[in-house]
Amino acid sequence: MKEGDRDGEVADKWEVQLRKGCLELAILAALWGGKLYGLEILRRLESDSDLIVSEGTVYPLLSRLKTLGLVRSEWVESDSGHPRKYYALTAAGKHRAVEMAATWARFSSSMGKLLAPLGKGR
Amino acid sequence: MPMAIENDAQQLIDAYLKSLRTKLRGLNRDDINEIVEELRSHIQDKAASSGELTVAGVTAALAALGTPEALAREYATDALLARAEFSRSPLRVLDSLFRWASLSAAGFLVLVSTVAGYFLGGSFMWCAVLKLVHPHTAGLWLIPLSDGGFAVSLRMGFGSPPIDGRELLGWWILPLGLIGGCALVVLTTRFALWSARQYRRSHLLPQA
Repeated sequence: MKEGDRDGEVADKWEVQLRKGCLELAILAALWGGKLYGLEILRRLESDSDLIVSEGTVYPLLSRLKTLGLVRSEWVESDSGHPRKYYALTAAGKHRAVEMAATWARFSSSMGKLLAPLGKGR
Repeated sequence: MPMAIENDAQQLIDAYLKSLRTKLRGLNRDDINEIVEELRSHIQDKAASSGELTVAGVTAALAALGTPEALAREYATDALLARAEFSRSPLRVLDSLFRWASLSAAGFLVLVSTVAGYFLGGSFMWCAVLKLVHPHTAGLWLIPLSDGGFAVSLRMGFGSPPIDGRELLGWWILPLGLIGGCALVVLTTRFALWSARQYRRSHLLPQA
């Protein structure tokens, strides 16, 4: 049995799961326009979406996406004096991003229909 | 003295990464180096965004990354389990489980069950093969015990048949041992991968 059945904790856990679930698609989407390094991905996620992203989650996830063959990485020298690790989508990554985006759109529109009455009730 | 401050900041980074490196043990060396160098680059960029590398900047950047323990756990478990899920070969699965077991009690339990499953599956297949070599002694035997009970024993057929023992399957051990053994190995692999997925789902949530 899992502890923490109080409403607040359950809601928090749900939100955490939801964010975590979206993060993979968010990262793939951030890379759609071309290669970026870790900090640029984080900034893109923060500026283009309201996703509050924990840095300690994004780097391990990037490493996992690489293991899965969805992104590839390369070290590039920079003016800052140290090299940076850039990530780019692979063909499989692009394919997966398109697939996930379509699923997202379907899911979001059906949830929208279901949730519409809740908005009016306010 | 800006030089001294920069050194202090550098030392903070080094100490953090050294601690992370120790906690990442279990991953292969190249992966660890990649992770550490990427994070060093990240911390330097983040901490020096205002210009110089300052102690305050580095402290903030490290706090945003979380503790080395938490970060290492995400990396290690995520990478190992992803690799295990990727490959269905029992050897790769076991290799990943051994490393997972060194990180958590759950991993250890799954490893023990998986080893037991593979061992039993392997024994049945081996017994089926050895039946061809030892037709009279290899097989599944029912052996009377001194206290009046019985023991079921899978015998490979080396040596003489057990006293008063009765062979249960005869030549059926050949197809049944092979099919049953294979099924056990496949089921065990599925169990290990399923456990790995469950564990990842329940433990690797972001620190909200």
